[in-house]
Amino acid sequence: MSELVRLTEITKVYQGGVTGALNGVSLTVEEGEFTAVMGPSGSGKTTLLNLVAGLDRPTSGSVTVAGSDLGPLGETALARFRRDHIGFVFQFFHLLPNLTVLENVLIPAQLKSRVSSEAAGRELLAQLGIAELADRYPAKLSGGQQQRVSIARALINRPTLLLADEPTGALDTRSGDEVMELLRQLHRQGKTVLLVTHDAKLATRYAARVVSVMDGRIVDDARLETADREASDVIKVRGEETR
Amino acid sequence: MHTHHAYRVWNCCLSLKYGLMGLLAEEPLHGYEVKTRFEAMLGGTWEVNIGQVYTTLQRLERDGLVRPVGPRGDRGKLLYEVSEEGRRVLAEWMDQPDSGPQELREDIYVKLLLAARLANGDLAPLLSRQKRAYLQRLRDLNRLEERARRDGRSDLARLVRGALLHTEADIKWIDELSETAISGESE
Repeated sequence: MSELVRLTEITKVYQGGVTGALNGVSLTVEEGEFTAVMGPSGSGKTTLLNLVAGLDRPTSGSVTVAGSDLGPLGETALARFRRDHIGFVFQFFHLLPNLTVLENVLIPAQLKSRVSSEAAGRELLAQLGIAELADRYPAKLSGGQQQRVSIARALINRPTLLLADEPTGALDTRSGDEVMELLRQLHRQGKTVLLVTHDAKLATRYAARVVSVMDGRIVDDARLETADREASDVIKVRGEETR
Repeated sequence: MHTHHAYRVWNCCLSLKYGLMGLLAEEPLHGYEVKTRFEAMLGGTWEVNIGQVYTTLQRLERDGLVRPVGPRGDRGKLLYEVSEEGRRVLAEWMDQPDSGPQELREDIYVKLLLAARLANGDLAPLLSRQKRAYLQRLRDLNRLEERARRDGRSDLARLVRGALLHTEADIKWIDELSETAISGESE
């Protein structure tokens, strides 16, 4: 496995507040990993994801993704980097209401080349099980469907890295599970996934690596085992014992 | 009170005693059948010694809560059923909510209090190691839950769900302690 992301001694200071700030964060992510960044709100986990995505710049320290040091890149180069390497899934989908599902999915592709990749877009929608929604408008869709559309949009340019910031936060349990199953499938197909969540159950269910962020610092980086253990090794039911 | 009597007489688990009675209330069973059925109900999370089952059945018989049905079968196996008194006692137990004190059985609770005294109040390493163990447990439970649902074992899935939520709460507790430790250190 080769290294895909390297954060070195990152500090991020926000004027007028400490919420979301980072303080000396270093982290590397290997290609093909499914990593969860876990922490309470305001811990800096979203800031960390935004820095990896090139959506924000650190106050000090360096961010290298897929061999590119993002520090020296100007706005245009940074936009090109995001377009070529990053797929981003947000909590609140961020779909454009005046565009159809297919048009939303194709936005990043149209930024890349003037040739329409409509066929690729339709194929992606089919893979995600929403082919029949292609010509509908976002407002007519359920939350789970909207999130699938946003995943299709994130994948249209075949990104190196898939970033997801609380992707189930606005969904009911069942739609949330379905969205997470999609991310799991994408990971099994070789995609590198970086998931930000406050939810330990979700993090440990899908990610074999759980990075805990607290108060702007990484306080733990756990690589978990993936084993099918016997029920009796995982749970022990004990009755009330008498002495 | 019945439970006080039971505390003196029963040297194992009350939920095993009532668990066996409950299964016998469905239909008469041999000792070995009731053992395997009990274990299956608990999805393999509680393995019972067959000797313990026979001892329990003998005591239940002695107390008039179960009784043998018919003659001994092949290899001397005896079929048991629940008596009227047994059904009454079982219903009483089922109606009683678990209202005792919260049980904190794991060592971490004592370790934590000791660490606060012994390690100059530096709890961070202890909390970090414990959190990792809980995360691993949560991952194992998640996998077990998915497997149980896939295999249609809804009894086990229910148990696992309870265990998952407990472990989640344990992690929240560790995080809360860590946050206090961090903010205490920066003050």
